[in-house]
Amino acid sequence: MCLKARCNPKVPRTRSCNVFMLLAVVCLMFCAGPGWAHKVSIFAWVEGDTVHTQSKFSGGKRPKNSTVVVYDMDGNQLLEGKTNENGEFSFKVPQKTALKVALKASMGHLAEWTIPAEEITGAPESTETSSSEIVVETATPEAAPVTDIKGPAEVQGATSTGLSRREIQELIDKSLDKKLTPIVNMLADSLDRGPRISEVIGGIGYIFGLVGVALYFAARGKRK
Amino acid sequence: MHISEGVLSPAVLIAGAALTTAGVGIGLRKLETEEIPSMGILSAAFFVASLVHVPAGPASVHLVLNGLLGVILGWKAFPAILVGLSLQALLFQYGGLTTLGVNTLNMALPAIISYYLFGWGIRVGAKRFIFAGTAFAAGASAILVSGVFVGFSLYFTGEAFLPAAKLVVLAHVPVMLLEGGLTAACALFLRRAKPELLEGHYVPKSAM
Repeated sequence: MCLKARCNPKVPRTRSCNVFMLLAVVCLMFCAGPGWAHKVSIFAWVEGDTVHTQSKFSGGKRPKNSTVVVYDMDGNQLLEGKTNENGEFSFKVPQKTALKVALKASMGHLAEWTIPAEEITGAPESTETSSSEIVVETATPEAAPVTDIKGPAEVQGATSTGLSRREIQELIDKSLDKKLTPIVNMLADSLDRGPRISEVIGGIGYIFGLVGVALYFAARGKRK
Repeated sequence: MHISEGVLSPAVLIAGAALTTAGVGIGLRKLETEEIPSMGILSAAFFVASLVHVPAGPASVHLVLNGLLGVILGWKAFPAILVGLSLQALLFQYGGLTTLGVNTLNMALPAIISYYLFGWGIRVGAKRFIFAGTAFAAGASAILVSGVFVGFSLYFTGEAFLPAAKLVVLAHVPVMLLEGGLTAACALFLRRAKPELLEGHYVPKSAM
């Protein structure tokens, strides 16, 4: 009560000013528009035997010349490199286990991305071991129906052009990688979405709620 | 300005958290009931300002507004910035919960330094030129000092100080200028519309 009485003479002016400041906050909120800022993210995917990484600040800027460090799951450093002008960095798969990719951008920014083991072991490699794997695969029953569906003529045609099963596999992988790149990029973009308007309004609501709680306790203290 | 999780050493994190606790304690002790709403609004402004991205400069930077909070709230900028940063960490994933102490210190202490350095000029009685000038200096210097503090945080974790600090400060030059201007504009507006806010504490009843 006493608080209210003290403020009363100033109420109209104070209130209009508070409304103005509130409006200013709302304006700031909408100015924010496309340029969300200040988080860094890294996204990595496997293409053939190469791992590509793409990093960016959530403002859309790409961290140039930032360090990317690759670890195995036990935290041993395997290799490190620098991002290029577009915030990209690619490296050959160093070992066929799950990998952790960490981006160390300037000013204390850090982001991590884990590549699961399946993604890496599933990637074909031009090494001897993987080609033998594919040979084994062709001998498995799952691969058999494929040859059944194809007419014998087609199979003959395939052999006459001199394409081995392994080469076909590689060709398919290559074109799939090519076709999937835009989708992967889209995924990378959608992963680092900026804060949504609901989160912004929610945060402001929290602050006003805290003000309410603080005022409640302050008023209760005064009444005693 | 927000340092991510997993960058700093535990010693730096603990020291930051301890100093921030002390600062928040001082701020809350000085808090008067009448100031709670303006503190809330400034905290909300701080919370939202981090979304305003400044496209100039070599890195991705955003508004901080800590200078403005400092000159208006004084020590109460500590709790206001802590609330804003906690919500930024929870909702936007800026910074992180473990780095909350260090980040609050890095933004709130410069705010209080500008309050003591330039607060004398930002008084209703001051000449307009001095008033605007000191407000500009307060806004700009708060960012500058924050940048140096971020550099120090990284230095204590083992990074070389000069390159780290230089990078942070250089990246924030456009923000410094912008915030100087914004702080001056806000202060000038408040001088006209709500002068009692600028005195650093609520004017006693007799003066109203």
